[in-house]
Amino acid sequence: MKTGGDLVADALVAAGINFICTLPDWNMARLIERIGQENSWIHVRLGREEEGVGICAGAYLTGKTPALVMQNGGLLNSVNGLTTTSLQFGIPTLLVVYYAGDINSRYFSTVGDITEPVLEALGIRHYILRDRAAVMQTIAGATVLTMDSKRPVAVLLNRDLLRSEGP
Amino acid sequence: MKRLDCLKAIAGTVGDALVVGSAGGATVEWYHLHPSEGNFRSRTLGLASSIGLGIALSLPQRKVIVLDGDGSLLMNLCGLPTAAWAAPPNLIHIVFDNQVYESSGSSPTATAGPTDLVAIAKAAGFPRALWVHDVDAFATAVADALSAHELTFIGAKVEHGIVPGIASPTMDDAENKYRFMRHIENLEGRKIFGSGYPDL
Repeated sequence: MKTGGDLVADALVAAGINFICTLPDWNMARLIERIGQENSWIHVRLGREEEGVGICAGAYLTGKTPALVMQNGGLLNSVNGLTTTSLQFGIPTLLVVYYAGDINSRYFSTVGDITEPVLEALGIRHYILRDRAAVMQTIAGATVLTMDSKRPVAVLLNRDLLRSEGP
Repeated sequence: MKRLDCLKAIAGTVGDALVVGSAGGATVEWYHLHPSEGNFRSRTLGLASSIGLGIALSLPQRKVIVLDGDGSLLMNLCGLPTAAWAAPPNLIHIVFDNQVYESSGSSPTATAGPTDLVAIAKAAGFPRALWVHDVDAFATAVADALSAHELTFIGAKVEHGIVPGIASPTMDDAENKYRFMRHIENLEGRKIFGSGYPDL
C-alpha cells in the first residue's frame, strides 16, 4: 500500500532528481520521511524556504538536477530568491509545493487564493496534481521542462492526493 | 581594517577555490582583484551563503569560499544552522562586518548594536568560528581554513566605505552563470550541458 507521498517520492527518484531541499508540511510528512530515507540525492533540511532557492541554485551550477519541497506559504517566502536568483540567472529548480487552500483543505484558503496568480505573475509554469495516475508522468515531465527551459517549474500537490492510499 | 586590504591579502592564495560573492561591495572588490571563471556573484541579498552551501555539498572535493556582508547574513540567519547541520567541511564562510547596509545608503545594521555574528555562528553549530582583527590574522585564518577540512566561519570587522575607482563588474548575470558552469566542466572533466536528458 502506497500513500500519495510515497508516489511523489518514487516519481522524484525516477525523474532523476539528485539534490533536494525540504521544509515540512503536515500533509507532506510521509513524502519528506521517504526523501530522508532515499540515497538517490543529497538532502538538505531547511529553516526557511528562500534559502532552498539559493542552495538548489548552487547545486545546479555544479550539474545537479535540484528540487525544492515546501508548502505554498513557503513559495510566497521565496519569491525574491526565485526572481533575482532563479529567473534572473536562468536556473532551473523543480518546485514541489503542497497546495494548502486547494479544494477540500481547511485553514489556508487565502494562501490558496493567490498561489496560482503569484506563479503566473512570476512566469513560472505550474501543474496541479490531484490524481494518483498522473504523478509519475507529471513529475518526470516537469523535471525535463525545468532543466530544458532553465527556469523553475512548479508541481502543486493536493491534500487528497497526498493522503490517498493505493497500490 | 579595510576590506580591500583583506581581499588583497588572500587574492594570491586561494588557488582554484570557488568563490561566491554576496550582493555587495566585497564582491565588486573581489572581481577587481581576482578575476576568475570560478567567481559567482549573487544578486539576492542573503543567498550568497546558500548558493555556496549548495556548491560545497555538490562538489565535496573543491574548496568553496563565500564572501558575505553583515547585512546579507542578517537577512538569511537561518542559513547558519542549515549549513552547520549539513556541515560541508570544504565551505569557508567569510563575513566582512562593516556594521552598515553599505550598498543601500549606509544605515546601521544590528551589528552596530549588540549583535555578534561569530557568536551566532558558534551557537548555530559551526565547528570553527572566529573573529579576526587585522589583515595578517585574516590571511592566516583563511590559509588555515583552506588547509583544514572543517566547516569554517570567519568574521572580519572592517571600516565601511566604498573604494573609489573600482567599477562594478560588467558581466551579465547569465554570462556569469555560463562561465562559472563551463569552468566547473573543465575543472571536473565532465559535461554539464547537453547531458542527462535526451535531445528530441
